[in-house]
Amino acid sequence: MKYFALLYKNVLRNHRRTLLTVTSIAVSLFLVATLLTLLNELQNPIETPDSALRLITRHKVSLFNSLPIAYRQKIAKVEGVQAVMGSMWFGGVYKDPSNFFAQFSADTDQFFEVNADMIIPEDQKQAFLKDRTGCIVGKSLAKRFDWKLGDRIHLKGALFQFDPELTVRGIYEGGSDLGTTLFFHWEYFNEGLNNAGFTGTFTIRARSADEVPKIAERVDALFQNAPVPTKTETERAFILGFASMLGNVQLLITSICSAIIFAIVLVAANTMAMSIRERVREIGVMKALGFHSNRILALLLAESMLLALAGTLLGSLGARTIYSRLDLATLTSGFLLRLDVNPKILLLCFGIGCVVGLLAAGVPAWRASRFPAIEALRRVA
Amino acid sequence: MRIPLKYNVGSLWVRRVGTLMTALGIGLTVAIFITMQALVNGLDATFVETGRPNHLIVIRDGALNETNSYFNRDLLGTIKLLPGIRTDETGEPLASGEIIVVINHPRITGESSNVVVRGTTPAGLKLRPEMTLVQGNWFRRGLREIVVSESMSRRFQNMRLGDSLSMSRSSWKVVGLFSAGGRAHESEVFTDVEDVAQDWDRPIYTSLLLEASDAAAAQAIIKRVADDRRIHLQAVSQQKYFRDQTVSSVGIKGLGTFIAFVMGVGSCFAAMNMMYATVMSRTKEVGTLRVLGFSRSSILSSFMVESILLALCGGLVGCLLALPLHGISTGTANFVTFSEVLFNFRITPRILLQGMIFAGIVGIFGGALPARRASRVTLIEALRQ
Repeated sequence: MKYFALLYKNVLRNHRRTLLTVTSIAVSLFLVATLLTLLNELQNPIETPDSALRLITRHKVSLFNSLPIAYRQKIAKVEGVQAVMGSMWFGGVYKDPSNFFAQFSADTDQFFEVNADMIIPEDQKQAFLKDRTGCIVGKSLAKRFDWKLGDRIHLKGALFQFDPELTVRGIYEGGSDLGTTLFFHWEYFNEGLNNAGFTGTFTIRARSADEVPKIAERVDALFQNAPVPTKTETERAFILGFASMLGNVQLLITSICSAIIFAIVLVAANTMAMSIRERVREIGVMKALGFHSNRILALLLAESMLLALAGTLLGSLGARTIYSRLDLATLTSGFLLRLDVNPKILLLCFGIGCVVGLLAAGVPAWRASRFPAIEALRRVA
Repeated sequence: MRIPLKYNVGSLWVRRVGTLMTALGIGLTVAIFITMQALVNGLDATFVETGRPNHLIVIRDGALNETNSYFNRDLLGTIKLLPGIRTDETGEPLASGEIIVVINHPRITGESSNVVVRGTTPAGLKLRPEMTLVQGNWFRRGLREIVVSESMSRRFQNMRLGDSLSMSRSSWKVVGLFSAGGRAHESEVFTDVEDVAQDWDRPIYTSLLLEASDAAAAQAIIKRVADDRRIHLQAVSQQKYFRDQTVSSVGIKGLGTFIAFVMGVGSCFAAMNMMYATVMSRTKEVGTLRVLGFSRSSILSSFMVESILLALCGGLVGCLLALPLHGISTGTANFVTFSEVLFNFRITPRILLQGMIFAGIVGIFGGALPARRASRVTLIEALRQ
């Protein structure tokens, strides 16, 4: 630690250069942290204890095919099933097609048992259950369209020839969708469709986590030879299925991140090279005073690491602070729910910072530390 | 009096290692910018080029697209009677009743995606002349035969020529591979409309495709379909129908803009760093220039030119780095039909120009402060060095 003062002096030798380098690295690491978080959120949907208990049953062919509502009773009797609800993507238009958001009709018998992680006041829950044309909306969605309790929402059917007239009876938080969805009664939907009696998917809540894989097998076995076979998977796998539809996001993001990291290595290396070039004489003096080459190399590397890590910490912690304060769901119209720069990503960024620091100083520091002292002293600045 | 450009080129050359590193740094930023633009452009162009001006798509009134449309088959007869539909050599109106279904099918890489299967007719193939058979034959009715595009064949399992895949109740054989010049058709599996209707129990049509004889006839048909309250259908120009699907690129667009902006800011700082170093080490030279009679403003503009030159070198490197991506095939979710759309990275001269402009802006912002600093060098300061 006795060299810290020397390091500190050297880093701040040229304020402006240090500031520009650190800012440049910080901005880039901010971007890397953002992209890695985005990838992480896509590949690892939030897994809460509640979400881990849920399974989704859909038609075996694809989500576009619906299931008979009569399956509900059969699924409810499957061993290990605590609660089940049918729900159907409505996909209606609210005023204008650009106001896109998720709308589901859901059967309400066990709605709040299945979605036990939804936070909603008890009186609003009851008001929704009692009103056949009532609906509940997520907090972030309500904010987007400025909906209050009692507001009327008119949806125009696109997939179905039915235009529901709904009343907001409750505003919920949490749930697997983080408050971005509208739910209304399946019974109302079914009436609108002349009692067609079908639904899109069933959401099952298991009694315990051990039961989850077994339930999937039991449910699918039950309908294996039925005219409408099913595919049951965990809520997590179901969400991952959507993410995989976006294509090879992983390749795109990892290549962009590698390019960014390479670019900051260049920026930092340039700075270190400039800084070391100016100091050749000084290094010669240090050698003449008896500093070993390896020690000088270590000092220069440490200096570069200090620069890189300052930028890294600024960028990654900055990203964490900024994203935790922004209401991303509202800002991006529900496109992005949240960006949680978690400790694992911070650690990864820290690792990137270390590598950048080492790589950047590597060549110039090695050369400077091996430069003969006499030669260095002979140089006139 | 202007300071000659040669001076700047020489100065960049003297510091070639630093110049190269800074230029490469800016180049990487430009390469990322071009890559994202090429993705957006490729996806958008796939949709835009698919729409033909006089082609019309008829779907159920209120439906947003084919995937949520269905209607009675009799309506094809009603529509066919409308005046202004182009006829084929036998005098039959060119209109095709089609059914699309969506299946969940695994890619070569393992994960599944939604794929559109389209049941069409001989008229439907005539209406899509851009589809050309590359290998094998077209599908025949009643034999559960399918034809897929070459890019699908490379991206999905069991879609090579001669492969069989199971859909709905039957096993379907791939009898041909087609190409459609990178248009949206290349994302669909084509087969006979009756085969789809039977296998999926759907005795309906999800859409009709027809060709109007000219633009005025197309407008007239759109109006007539809209005005006929009994049939509950809507006719949309194929051009508009596909242009609406470019909404699928909104995510990449947003991400691309965000990345370009942040990287641009980072590159500005890097360029600024390099330019400050140049200015500082040339204080004496600047003093000499002043003594020779060059004005402050010509020194300012000379350093600006040098910064822009440096950034443009970077831009050039970026263009070269990104160019090999051109034509690479990839796929993403079509937000409208909720199924996979295949497209190619597409780099155009326009995008390359945008990349160079992007680099130029980095040069301007990165060079402004250092150039101002250089123009304010006093003679005393210069002589002291």
